[in-house]
Amino acid sequence: MASERETNVRCSIEAADAFVEWYYNQINHSKPIAYGYVNGNSTFERAGHPPADICINGLVVATPQEWEKLLEQQRHRPQSLSLDKNAVHYVVEGYDVHVINSDYRFAAPQKMLDIHGPSDGVRMMMMLTVTGSVYFGANKKDNEDYTLKQHFHDVFILVPNWEILEKPGARYGRKYLIASHNYRAF
Amino acid sequence: MAPRAGRRGAGTQRGGPGKPRGGGITKQRGTPRVDKDGDVAMDVPVNAPTGPSGGRGRGRGRGRDGSSQPSTRLAQNIQSYLGSDGSKPQFNKTTLKIFGLKNSKAASNADGGVRSLLEFLERKASREKTITLGKGTLVGDCVWVKASKADAPNLIRLSGYTFAGAELTIEETQEPIPSTDGKAPRAATSETKQKLTAVLAARYNAEQKLLDLSSLGTDETLKSLGTFESQALAEKSFKALVHLAGSEYKDPEERRVAIQAVSLARNDIRDVEEVYALAKSLRHLRRLDLSGNNLENLAKLSKWRDEFRYLEELHLAGNPVANQPNYAAEMVNWFPCLQILDGQQVRTPEQAAEALKAMSPSPVPQFPSNVRDGDNGVAGIFLRTFFPLFDNDRSALAAQFYDEDSWFSLAIIASSGRDLPWQKYQKFSRNVQKLGSRNPASLQRLFTGGNLIADLWKSLPNTQHPSVDQPEQWLIDCHTFPHLADPNSLGTAVGLIINVNGQFEEADPADGLRGIRTFSRTFILGPSKIGAPHPYRVISDELTLHKWTPQPVQAVQPIQPVQPVQPVQPNALPSDALKAQLIMELSKRTGMNAQYSEMCLTGAANWNFDMALRSFEEQRANLPPAAFISPAA
Repeated sequence: MASERETNVRCSIEAADAFVEWYYNQINHSKPIAYGYVNGNSTFERAGHPPADICINGLVVATPQEWEKLLEQQRHRPQSLSLDKNAVHYVVEGYDVHVINSDYRFAAPQKMLDIHGPSDGVRMMMMLTVTGSVYFGANKKDNEDYTLKQHFHDVFILVPNWEILEKPGARYGRKYLIASHNYRAF
Repeated sequence: MAPRAGRRGAGTQRGGPGKPRGGGITKQRGTPRVDKDGDVAMDVPVNAPTGPSGGRGRGRGRGRDGSSQPSTRLAQNIQSYLGSDGSKPQFNKTTLKIFGLKNSKAASNADGGVRSLLEFLERKASREKTITLGKGTLVGDCVWVKASKADAPNLIRLSGYTFAGAELTIEETQEPIPSTDGKAPRAATSETKQKLTAVLAARYNAEQKLLDLSSLGTDETLKSLGTFESQALAEKSFKALVHLAGSEYKDPEERRVAIQAVSLARNDIRDVEEVYALAKSLRHLRRLDLSGNNLENLAKLSKWRDEFRYLEELHLAGNPVANQPNYAAEMVNWFPCLQILDGQQVRTPEQAAEALKAMSPSPVPQFPSNVRDGDNGVAGIFLRTFFPLFDNDRSALAAQFYDEDSWFSLAIIASSGRDLPWQKYQKFSRNVQKLGSRNPASLQRLFTGGNLIADLWKSLPNTQHPSVDQPEQWLIDCHTFPHLADPNSLGTAVGLIINVNGQFEEADPADGLRGIRTFSRTFILGPSKIGAPHPYRVISDELTLHKWTPQPVQAVQPIQPVQPVQPVQPNALPSDALKAQLIMELSKRTGMNAQYSEMCLTGAANWNFDMALRSFEEQRANLPPAAFISPAA
């Protein structure tokens, strides 16, 4: 029987894996990410959750859509040679995740509180830190010949996405949503 | 693939020079077209089935006896030169020699102990990531094995280890792995290589930094090698030539300077795909001559779109494409630095610089620390206590701010050490991307409880963080957030997340090592349990150590920085004239252009010349080629 800590640690890493894969794939391919934040999630909005705190290189942005816009601007090449959407490429080099509240209850459906105790690795609030490199203007076939390389450090607080977790055998969809996002690249 | 042997006879090697024969890049356009059938490219499609056609219309000694099979041999040679799979050269591989196996107990194994030796090394060297070795070759008392360059240091480190009772010596070597079957399969390869190198030498003009690969179809040496037997072979030979040309210069920068121009004129190129290798190996070309080829339209050039972004001069006259109406506009659009197209000026150097800049994306602007920690200034107070204690009394620190539920882990993000070794951290590194969720280390390397955390900290090297009162040394972002569990009730509590980016000095008295490390550290603070020394505690502490040094960025200052503590005024800034002088001096010392020199000075260095120089040294490997002054045309 796995200890409480063990299950939470394993589940938090699995959640982190899925999140990291989704998030960086989305931003590398100019796909939307706004729906990965608590903003606009009906369960959280109904329960009165504040919008996600998003701080980008020291600048607070009000909505995930604004962050998407910043990413779009970042990709923008005033004289684009072609419609190369991958002008900016994020490469994750490592991440680490901690459970910071294993008994997360905010906006939780009663059913979830009944089924899952704090040791089940479900009702977790997590802190995820992700580190890697960002390549600007790199050759589209590899990351060489870039015009600029930066290093980034992303910190997320993730909370359960009840709508998805509630479904039995939830396999698809974002199981955890971003409640806080801090980005630094330098 | 090269065509099978037997299609051509020995005569091909002696083929007269009068008539070019060859694949796409070989036919000499300048030679009068006697007949279309004379063009080998026409009747040997790249993927042609290798039936015994004998070569339609080629005649001239190309019988079916196939005795000397030059094309096959060349293909093999080039293939083995380019790498075992015939596709890519193994740039990232190195060869290791391992001595000592003969004296080990494993030497009596059926394979001489090679397998168990390699398994032993794989096991011992796999730390941060699993290392897999290729098949070893035992010659005398030495085992030869190929390993990835990134893994090599971890393997060489094992030199001196004892394996099955014998001490091992491991060294890196440039020598080729000797063959075990008594033959010398590489001899032919090196002969081919020598001939190709001679071709290159004869065609290189050092003064113009020009590699003249025009009219290859008339090259006697290439012909004697049977290079133009088929299009596939001709392409392969071209690839080998370009690769060889590139490999003459180990340093990419050196290569960029040495080969600035290439002529591929009069080679009957129908699609630049045939010579794509050029864009791979010599992507910084400034002048390219493709005149007198057979490029029909823009689509035949499209493979090079987005390549050669520093190309200044291009010649395409004598190709059908050059007569297309939109041709010039498209070329200007494709190559941002293009200034001369078929002898006509299409851009000024200033316009070129502008266009190059315009095609590069620019990062999200950088703002100073953003501290929103409520009215009590908790973050400032905490950090001002935390780092001095971490540097001087880690046990006391753990006792003050960590309780039995606090979590700590550290992760190093580095494939190999740069300035300082990583050993002290490596065995504790919890990079879960590498470890995975089912790896016991993911659990073991997560430290829970103040006592365990303090014990771990004791084993880490000594550190010296700068004062938090030096805001230019830090990037600190923090804000409060709801819904932590309150340890003293069933309710929830407000937490504070603090993300710190900075550098510390590391000193390891045991090893006598000193150096600077870059780190990010993220804390979650929440209310303490009743009776704790402080009203808040550390719930989570994640430390990330990076292999890099932050790049100086041009900070934009439209909003006033919010500092966690009383900001200390930086030293008075130098005058504009002095700034210009500093930029020039830094540019001179580093070879960087003015823009990057300025960035370097305006970043963390804050116009401190020595700091900027140091930051350049640390950051050099990460700088893009565009950061450096391009050599004079």
